[in-house]
Amino acid sequence: MSQLIPILTLQGLAGIILLAGTLLVIAGVILLIATSAKSDKESIGEYKVFKKRSHYFIGLSVVFVVIIFVSLQFLPYSRFQNDADEVVTVVGIQWDWQMAHGITNKTPHQFLGKNEISLPVKKRIKFIVMSDDVMHNFGIYNSKGILLTQVEAMPQYKNELQYTFNQQGKYTILCLEYCGLVHGFMTATIHVN
Amino acid sequence: MHLTPVELKKQRRLATTWSITFLILFPLLIALGLLLRLSQSELMKLLLANSYAFLTLHGWGMTGVLFSVTFASIWFLISTRFARLNINVGYFVYFTILMGVTGLTIATLIGKFGPGWYMLYPLPFKDPTWVPWSIRMATVSILVLSTGWLIGIIHVLSALAKEYGGFTNLLGWQYLVNQKSRKELPPIILITTVSLTVGLISIITGIILMFIYLFQSYETVLIFDPLLLKNMSFFFGRTLSSVTLYCAAGWMYALLPEFTGREWKTNKTLVYAWNATFFLILFSYLHHLYIHFAQLSSMQYAQITSHLSAIPATAITMFGVIMQLYHSKTKWSIVPLMILLGMGGWAIGSIAEAVDSTIVFNKALNNTLWIPAHDHTYTLMGIVLFILAFLFYLFSEKSNEKDRVAKTGFWIFVIGGYGFLLMLYLGGLSSIPQSYARYAGMRIESMHKKAVFLSQISVWFIILLLIGLFIMFFSLFAKILKKENPEL
Repeated sequence: MSQLIPILTLQGLAGIILLAGTLLVIAGVILLIATSAKSDKESIGEYKVFKKRSHYFIGLSVVFVVIIFVSLQFLPYSRFQNDADEVVTVVGIQWDWQMAHGITNKTPHQFLGKNEISLPVKKRIKFIVMSDDVMHNFGIYNSKGILLTQVEAMPQYKNELQYTFNQQGKYTILCLEYCGLVHGFMTATIHVN
Repeated sequence: MHLTPVELKKQRRLATTWSITFLILFPLLIALGLLLRLSQSELMKLLLANSYAFLTLHGWGMTGVLFSVTFASIWFLISTRFARLNINVGYFVYFTILMGVTGLTIATLIGKFGPGWYMLYPLPFKDPTWVPWSIRMATVSILVLSTGWLIGIIHVLSALAKEYGGFTNLLGWQYLVNQKSRKELPPIILITTVSLTVGLISIITGIILMFIYLFQSYETVLIFDPLLLKNMSFFFGRTLSSVTLYCAAGWMYALLPEFTGREWKTNKTLVYAWNATFFLILFSYLHHLYIHFAQLSSMQYAQITSHLSAIPATAITMFGVIMQLYHSKTKWSIVPLMILLGMGGWAIGSIAEAVDSTIVFNKALNNTLWIPAHDHTYTLMGIVLFILAFLFYLFSEKSNEKDRVAKTGFWIFVIGGYGFLLMLYLGGLSSIPQSYARYAGMRIESMHKKAVFLSQISVWFIILLLIGLFIMFFSLFAKILKKENPEL
């Protein structure tokens, strides 16, 4: 199983939460079927859960407030980030990625970059992501095929994503927003040294 | 409300027509999904244009057919129990929807139009393989479908408002001011009103969006804001999907008491919960746009509403089901079993959706197979089970009829369904992207192998699911024939 899903990742944590929730739901379904009366005499006329429901309501509200408060500390948006060490401009175009160091004053249509780029390890990189035609999505995968982060590439808009590569190696960019027939072949490479 | 036997027979015939349409269209739409999984598993080679046309029709078809059949079931329950509905309007809606579905089928299967069911602007106009007539046909077909839904919903809501003395009474506001002379409001009416009103807003948004697309197809120089149009597109499609689930949950409030023998009445808590849900569903689509960093900051805090929406919906509905079933005298015939497992599917899908709605997780799960995984959980193991429960309820002679054939089919369907979903979840957790017709181009060999392997297993589970479905259909068709022709 650990071959299939790496446990110590966001994906692994999501899997554990879903598994725990699913087991709870299955237990509930079995309990409700198992406790139903065999005869009319065994059944309770009415079953009141108002007190339990209020406890659940308060409990769940507290859990969600805590989750919301904690998780909103880690937002990927630029206003939550520090200054970047390096800037990379990225333009998505059916069906290729163009990347170049620095900020450009060219329009996405005029912009010329390369499909491969080298970046430094342990430095905060700001990707300024645009599109020349339709919606794309700039998804960064490590060499094991784990999705690390992503941002939409949109015509008429600039999206800024900051990311620090903590390990050297080859990273692959996949397009994660359906953008036409060759969508599944729209890739690029980042070499982190 | 009293219906004459002739009126009742007419409404029943309309419900039967809808049921047969569903029984034919549903497996065909599953077959399109199966073809896509076969292409992904590399067991079969499909042209890319065909794969995406199938994917598009699968998405539109399922969303449209499931909403339509759910609406038709609500129509039947309301017209036979709570308010008089015009049968001609019912048939008008049916034929309009049928026309829309036919148009979409022609646009995708003959025109090869395949922008995906979100149809994100400006993609439909930027791929040279899609010919303008297919774009226009798809757009007009969605307009026709939407018009049918719009007229149907307005008719149901106005008939109910007339019956219960005004629209605010349908939302249960009279319960909040302790009006003594109030007419009792069945929970199904409250939930139907909330769901259909939200549905109405989302359909109107869809109609505006389709008009924009139609203009664009003729006036190529026009440029619209892609972010605004994506918001509209998701508000239309995703909200309609949520509305379908809430509508289907509505009949559960009406049907379950018939099996448990316990009352399920509207009270203040139920009114507060569903009015809160009314407000919160409007924002639930926003978690699909978290990775659009250019989106307004305030809209990116939709995580708060997404999480909060789980509280009233689960507190009320889940505890309602426990109140109905715990130590009750329920005989576990196929109908209550499907309703309970449908609730289970809804709950599991909601947990997965809540995880995806958390921005921190979203950047690692969004646009992977986790999205179709949670979507299919509450669709296949929620909405579809509710619809099948309704069909068995409609065509069974006795409410607690023992039906071994149908039950066997049901369990095969559930095993096949959850196996299919497990492969999608494992795919999502393995970061495999959604909407890839083939995995050969992704340049990460380990992920390519994993994606193909999971698709291959998935194919077997879909076949199992279809076998289960056909066994249930066999039992259902036998019941329909017996019920429609009692002399047989």
